[in-house]
Amino acid sequence: MQEPLVCIVDDDEAIREALRLLLYSEGLQSVVYESADAYRSAGEKPKCTCMLLDIRMPGTDGPELFRILKKQHLPFPVIFITGHGDIPLAVSAIKQGAFDFLAKPFREGELIKKVKAAIRQFQQDRKKLEELRNLQLRVDSCTPREQDVMKLMADGLPNKSIAESLGISPRTVEIHRAHVMEKMRADSLPALVKMVTSLES
Amino acid sequence: MTAKEGTREAGNAFDALLEAAVDGIIIIDEVGTVLRFNQAAERIFGYTETEISGGNIKQLMPEPDRGNHDAYLSRYMRTGKRSIIGGGREVTGLKKNGDTFPMFLSVGETTRQKARRYVGIIRDLSDVQASREKVRELEEQLLHADRLVILGELTAGIAHEINQPLTAIAAYADAGKRMINRNPADATSEIDSICERIAEQSRRAAAVVQRLRKLVRSGTVSKGQHDINQIIKNTLLLFEYEVKKSNIELSFYPLETAGELYVDEIHIQQIIVNLIKNSIDAISEAGSPDGRIEIRVMKRPSDVTISVSDNGPGVREEFRKQLFESFFTTKPKGVGLGLSICKTIAGAHGGSLTFAESTQGGSTFTLSLPLELIG
Repeated sequence: MQEPLVCIVDDDEAIREALRLLLYSEGLQSVVYESADAYRSAGEKPKCTCMLLDIRMPGTDGPELFRILKKQHLPFPVIFITGHGDIPLAVSAIKQGAFDFLAKPFREGELIKKVKAAIRQFQQDRKKLEELRNLQLRVDSCTPREQDVMKLMADGLPNKSIAESLGISPRTVEIHRAHVMEKMRADSLPALVKMVTSLES
Repeated sequence: MTAKEGTREAGNAFDALLEAAVDGIIIIDEVGTVLRFNQAAERIFGYTETEISGGNIKQLMPEPDRGNHDAYLSRYMRTGKRSIIGGGREVTGLKKNGDTFPMFLSVGETTRQKARRYVGIIRDLSDVQASREKVRELEEQLLHADRLVILGELTAGIAHEINQPLTAIAAYADAGKRMINRNPADATSEIDSICERIAEQSRRAAAVVQRLRKLVRSGTVSKGQHDINQIIKNTLLLFEYEVKKSNIELSFYPLETAGELYVDEIHIQQIIVNLIKNSIDAISEAGSPDGRIEIRVMKRPSDVTISVSDNGPGVREEFRKQLFESFFTTKPKGVGLGLSICKTIAGAHGGSLTFAESTQGGSTFTLSLPLELIG
């Protein structure tokens, strides 16, 4: 798994620098942008694990950049950094899917705690995505007929009903069934049901 | 009536004139010797005619006029070059008790039987000056109020200005602590630089507090029914002194009928004060000899606009974007809050404050207040 990299977007140089140093004191690497516009116009960007995003900035502001990132399927969790009167803005950002927010000035350890939680979230998401991708590959390795059988198995139908609904013999269903279990690397019916459900969600 | 009687009659009339005059009348000869000193002059200066007669007029003047007066009279005799003779202006007088006071002095000249005489007529301006000072005091109070209200309007901005360095300080301190806990031996050089940064950010916060020191706690204000023409007239009173001092021509074009608005009178005054003050400053700074400021109230279908235009140097292109931002100023002693607070006030009234180049080449600021505000 890649080394975590925190992306800091804040127009206040002192705060950027302090955040970078604080993360560094925890062994976390970061990359800084002096505005949302600077982030947007940067060409090749290193892959970030999470983003610390200031709400108020000249040009594109924090919530606006967040909307843009969301359109790109939000590649990482975003933690908003909010000033005095911006809590309502931060709350509405959370409702729209931001990971968390931090009110300035931060309490000791608070920032590190939240950033670490965001990194964990990112890694879990990554892992889940990886698993789903693997599952999908297994599904793709089944023939269309096997996929039909798998779907009905996941619905809990017995062989006889599957045979009836697909118009094939129960013996044939049994053969497909064995192939499905093998190709999906499922050691039990409940395991297969779980796999199908997680792919459907 | 005989000729002798006629002369006596004229003499009596002349005495009556001197005695009854409300203004001080002093007659001197060509070298400044006091010949006549009427009752009003006695009251004004505190000398009796007997005391002062035969003395020189210059003892009624403070320095530097006193030291220059002989030379002035003899130069006039020689060259005919005059500064006050034949006209009048505001000068400072010196009373017997040593007090100085403002007075308007006009000097006329006459030659009878080859003797040159100067007649000075004096009006004491002490009362006028007192009322001018009252106006100035009012102006100061209003400017003071400006500062007070600013605080209330800008709490969020001010809090932000202080919160930023505090946030950095807290984060630096947190980082330093972690570094020491992790590896005390390696942290030394890092800690050194962190401490320097913390100090720097404390100075940044202190500078904000320093700026705020100029301002003081504010009182409360409220909305009511007010005639916009009257609000502006009241405001203009406060600028009489300043406008005169800067030699600026200020014209006011009110609405033809009273324009009743439901506004906070003080707040609207504050906007106008700020705008006019800015115009005066702009004109003065540019040193334009014939400064003009026009204040125009207009009624449109959906709003009332109050525009303040000047023929100053205008606003430079690169500053226009920041014009209404807090703490943005081009004035050497400015705090940079005036226009930002004006815009806030306009917004609080459901209106707007905008900038455009004026037709006279300077700036035009237009305050628009929506007509629903009119009761």
